[in-house]
Amino acid sequence: MAEAVIVVALLLVAVSATAAVAVRDPVRQSLVLAVLGVVLAVLFTVLQAPDVGLSQLAVGSALTPLLLLLTVRKVRRRGRRDEEGGP
Amino acid sequence: MNGWILTVTAVLGAGVGATLWGVATGPLRRRVVAQNLSTALACPALLLLAQGYERPAYVDLALVLALLGPVGTLVFARLLAGELAGDPPRAGALTWSAAALGAGVVLVLCVVEGPSRALVKLLVVGALLVGGNLLASRALSGGMTGARRG
Repeated sequence: MAEAVIVVALLLVAVSATAAVAVRDPVRQSLVLAVLGVVLAVLFTVLQAPDVGLSQLAVGSALTPLLLLLTVRKVRRRGRRDEEGGP
Repeated sequence: MNGWILTVTAVLGAGVGATLWGVATGPLRRRVVAQNLSTALACPALLLLAQGYERPAYVDLALVLALLGPVGTLVFARLLAGELAGDPPRAGALTWSAAALGAGVVLVLCVVEGPSRALVKLLVVGALLVGGNLLASRALSGGMTGARRG
């Protein structure tokens, strides 16, 4: 019975990782990735590895979405500029 | 398996599961609200885990999440401002109920803890959690940009 919380955390990680792959738009994907980072940190804590969970929280909850969104914004701007300046 | 871990299982299964459903489907405004709520629900879960495993060091995880969760939501609110401006998210009742859950968990843990240094840490985590999530929710619904323009 004590493993119920581990099973729930594992299920959440599996579902959110599948959702991150299934969602096609990068902006929406970054939102699912942020949730995946938090759920992974909870899984690591449940498995008694709080140090891993701590670094996962620091990277997954804010840094990964920020990098993704900045990249998407830059790519879109470049695409728009090429459209305007292109032949 | 004690009551704390049982509560964590319920919060994770029902609360975070529901936010996972919200973040994977629906329009963008629903997804950002669900992402904000997922951090607001995971933080009390981590606090309860620390109590359930009787490891006070695990409270650090909840402290980091209470700090970084609203920061992540603010990143979305800032970089998706253009797409959210025409269709601003409104989830007052959900945000307040998540904040109430966080406050309730912190209060119960404080009563169990009794006066000590850990109590101060718990109160700091609770204040960061509730304040940060209300702030992030307000930023998502466009309250911040309106204040800046006005």
